Amino acid sequence: MTAATRDTSLDAVYPDYLHCLAEADEHAAVEVARGLLDAGVAAERVLLDLVAPAQAEVGERWARNEWSVAQEHAATHISDRVVAAVAAYADVRPTRARIVVACMDGEWHALPARLVAEVLRLRGWQVTFLGASVPAAHLVSYLHRHDAYAVALASALPMRLPHAHRMVEVCRRSDVPVLVGGRGFGVDGRWARRLGVPWAASAPAAADLLGDERALRAAAPADLAHLADDEYASLVNRRGELIDSALADLAQRFPAIRDHSPAQLDSTVSDLGYILDFLAAALYVDDGSLFTEFVEWLVTILDSRSVPAATVEASLAHYGGVLHDFPRAVDFLQRGRGALPVADRRAA
Amino acid sequence: MTGADVRDLDPGDGRSSTPSAARVPAWRQTTSRSVAALPALEPAQGQPALDWPEVAEHLREGVVVCGPDGTVRHVSPVAQRLLPEVVVGGTLAAVEQLASLDPHLRHHGRWLRVRRVPLSAGRSCWYVEDVSDRERRSEELAAERSRSAFLTTVGDKLGNPLHPDRAAAAVVRLAVPTLAEVAVLVLAPRSGRARWWRASRAGDETPTVDRGVIAATALPPAIAESLRGNHPHAVDWLVEQVVEAGWLPGVSATEVAARLVSLPGRDAPAGVLLVARGTGGWYGEDDLDLVRAFAARAGAALTTALLYREQAEVADMLQASLLPVEPAAAPGVEWGTAYRPAQAGLRIGGDFYGSHRLPDGGSVFFLGDVSGKGVEAAVFTGQLRQCLHALHRVEQQPAKLLRLLNDALLETTLAHGQGRFATMVLGVVRPHRDGGLGLTLAGGGHLPPLVLRSSGEVEQLPLNGMLIGVVPDPRIGQVSTRLAPGETCLLYSDGVTEARGGRRGEELLGTDRLVQALTGCHRMPAPALAERIEQVTCDWLAQRDHDDIAVLALRATGVANRPQRHLHAVPTVTGPDPEGATTR
Repeated sequence: MTAATRDTSLDAVYPDYLHCLAEADEHAAVEVARGLLDAGVAAERVLLDLVAPAQAEVGERWARNEWSVAQEHAATHISDRVVAAVAAYADVRPTRARIVVACMDGEWHALPARLVAEVLRLRGWQVTFLGASVPAAHLVSYLHRHDAYAVALASALPMRLPHAHRMVEVCRRSDVPVLVGGRGFGVDGRWARRLGVPWAASAPAAADLLGDERALRAAAPADLAHLADDEYASLVNRRGELIDSALADLAQRFPAIRDHSPAQLDSTVSDLGYILDFLAAALYVDDGSLFTEFVEWLVTILDSRSVPAATVEASLAHYGGVLHDFPRAVDFLQRGRGALPVADRRAA
Repeated sequence: MTGADVRDLDPGDGRSSTPSAARVPAWRQTTSRSVAALPALEPAQGQPALDWPEVAEHLREGVVVCGPDGTVRHVSPVAQRLLPEVVVGGTLAAVEQLASLDPHLRHHGRWLRVRRVPLSAGRSCWYVEDVSDRERRSEELAAERSRSAFLTTVGDKLGNPLHPDRAAAAVVRLAVPTLAEVAVLVLAPRSGRARWWRASRAGDETPTVDRGVIAATALPPAIAESLRGNHPHAVDWLVEQVVEAGWLPGVSATEVAARLVSLPGRDAPAGVLLVARGTGGWYGEDDLDLVRAFAARAGAALTTALLYREQAEVADMLQASLLPVEPAAAPGVEWGTAYRPAQAGLRIGGDFYGSHRLPDGGSVFFLGDVSGKGVEAAVFTGQLRQCLHALHRVEQQPAKLLRLLNDALLETTLAHGQGRFATMVLGVVRPHRDGGLGLTLAGGGHLPPLVLRSSGEVEQLPLNGMLIGVVPDPRIGQVSTRLAPGETCLLYSDGVTEARGGRRGEELLGTDRLVQALTGCHRMPAPALAERIEQVTCDWLAQRDHDDIAVLALRATGVANRPQRHLHAVPTVTGPDPEGATTR
């Protein structure tokens, strides 16, 4: 690939860029981005219209089982280097207050947050990016030491919502307004509203919201009265016990599980755990659609790896039975089963 | 005249009794029809007649009786005092408020409660009670409640340790609108400059806050006085001074009421708070008490914040010197690191890594773990790294260097009488002409390194040895290997393999799971690999407590510091996704 043959429109170089990611070729990827910048494409557009969609495609390819975890990680790393190169190229002098951008503890998908951080930087904010999986204690001690005008928290997985809520409270106790973003708060931010936190759909939306301190501070209170039924708390407390019983139940229904390798067993255990974590998050925000969306996603992932969803059906049924005195959980599990392919529903 | 004058007439027990409905039926049984001036309520049966007018005179309530035509027939003395306009023979029209249906009315500066009871033959009786005292008490109670609610909010908001700037902004923001329409906080000057924050009441609930800096010499005299700790009781020309300073834009001095209160600090005041109210506003004694109570809390919060910042500045400096330093760039090597201390708020721990460039183009690199946790452990890692920094200049052979380090540590620990020791892997890496790397590693009781071969396999290097800093002349393991371009060597601390997770959080992650997680990851850049190990470990931990976690990865980048293209043609090892379905 040389400069002479390169078209400098975003659409034209997109396939090249994806190819660089597939090849794990950091230098070529950076070159593509630089070429666009040299041709006068705005840095923000390179980030939002080249890096962001390519990274989304990376995720899709992983979901379709076309790419391994290792390939996905490598591609993400390269995207990150490209973002750094674009930021260095633009080199905007900060003129506005400090914004701290961080990923929720346990959130390793740092690139979307990084993109937001760089877009804010391009718009003149002084941005500190704390990176992936930032422990709440680290964030608080940072806020004590360095004043921040606002904190932007990212979360890609709805199962971290209870945790996200605690993190938001922690920031607010330091009197720093919080803004959240990422798919973990729902495509339309509905779970952010439930938690009473301002939500931004995109990096430019985040930049707009940050420009309006009143909007940042004027958040509706969290609407979590349903937590009084203790279903969430009990589910979290019984997590280990529930996984044990579900595993025993699965082994009975699908004797093949007994021959699983330790790695396969680990992944079955973690899947059973994810089901409970998403169910817990759904109970936390009292929205069954959170759980249903998760089940649909899980089925897609399993399907692309040719794993029958029958075990999911069996696990949901088992949890439904064990949690019979948790009406909300039972309802969500029931609706989750409704999202399974018909064949799998019969199989169980 | 106050309500007390009327109350003095009461022969009662002094309780402020409610004119209860229950009293009426009681009367009914005891009232005689024979009373002339008062209405006959119910026929008394077998009861001796009473002198009702006399009884009525001593009631807490005043009584006015009207005839069917509305003419006032009788006015008890209490009623006379409360409703002086009402006279026998006149009408109740003299008191306009009586026409309204509201039983509470304000009349001659008193709160009255009035109830009308229809009597027989179209007559009616009005009972009038002075409830001024009760009203005042409940007003005071409501005011007191709102004051304590305000102070509770203030306590909540300022009770957490804050950054000093946050604390200052919070102070002015909280003061509006309860205490002021405009609140200005001026902090005690530092190096001749005073910083100020101002909140002004805006349309809705959230005030607008701005800030600025002013030269200490330009401060209005009253504020400068207060910052020095002098509290003049009445400040002359305060408002004029503040208006002149430009802190109350758009108002003229004549229409503003302002007060100044200093915020208690450690010795001198931490700052001065100016509260101002616009047209019609004023500050009573109660308001001032509240402002002072607020100032006490604000002062405490500011002092804490400033104290915390001073300590944090010191701690930051010390921490920065104890944080692992990222490996120095070296030809042919791509470094990757991950570091996650057990105490997240502290950011430092007992794990360490680093590298030093050698004059011949190679590098010394190391990763280790000292005994203990937290600050003490971090301080020891600092000593250890400094030792290595000096020693690598005299000795570059890894096993010998590790022995030298052992002797140095032994001497220090003996001198200080503290039994500190470390485990570590120390290696020397030298680039080869073909783009590969030659590695020689020495082990001091640490977990053996892993190597990701370009076949996708993960190899554990046979490396052992004894702890460093425990015995003189310890057994030190040594191993050499070669990294082809694209291959990676991984050093990690036991915080990785001893992470507890699984179903019950009791199972160790273990080397097998780690190897499993790395199999097939040979194409990943070193930083991504290091992060992957950190991620796998943290996912396994699922937010549980953990030991310090450190990873150092070095990857042979090939010649010209970039991976050779043909490497990507190496087919990936295919097989079942080791990660399972949903883990990433």
